[in-house]
Amino acid sequence: MTHFLAMLLFSFLVSIAFAVLSQEHHTTEDRVKYGFKVFGYFIGVGIVVAWVLYPLPL
Amino acid sequence: MENEKTMSKPLLLEPVSFGRTFAACLAGLALPGGGHFVLGKWGRGALILAVIVLLFAFGFWMEGHLFFPEGREWLTWFFSVLDMGLGLPYLICLMMDKGFAVTPEQAAKITFEYGNTFLCVAGALNLLSVMDAYDIAIGRKP
Repeated sequence: MTHFLAMLLFSFLVSIAFAVLSQEHHTTEDRVKYGFKVFGYFIGVGIVVAWVLYPLPL
Repeated sequence: MENEKTMSKPLLLEPVSFGRTFAACLAGLALPGGGHFVLGKWGRGALILAVIVLLFAFGFWMEGHLFFPEGREWLTWFFSVLDMGLGLPYLICLMMDKGFAVTPEQAAKITFEYGNTFLCVAGALNLLSVMDAYDIAIGRKP
């Protein structure tokens, strides 16, 4: 299990849950779109944070 | 000028009885997605159950462990509350004393903290799903 695979798996599962539990999206189409959006945010923000942290001597 | 969104009528939803609301919240704590099953939201309940079971299973597969509050170790209290959100699965693990122990080999694995995160998030999502079932029951959400 690589770090990236763990992030993909986590993002996939949590974005499904967020789409299902969303208060503002009531149709299936809206929920699916929202799920994809959340998944994209998870991956995008994860990669940006990884690149920001990369040069730091942690 | 008001746009179409602000002019649209709010959804009028019929709340269910107090007993069914209580049963939904209790079922949600006992089994992930259980609250939605009680309210007849089978699809949503099944998705919640699948996601939380997968997070739980992957959490243990990645060598994560469940937390139990320990005296002045305040961080363990926070993670324990999240884990306890799992409800019955947490209680079963507690009674069988499975999933709480941490060995040095386990802690050295690179996936150890990921596993802990998966387990904590599974619990947190279950708490959210119980609140969602409550919202559906009182007619705040379709």
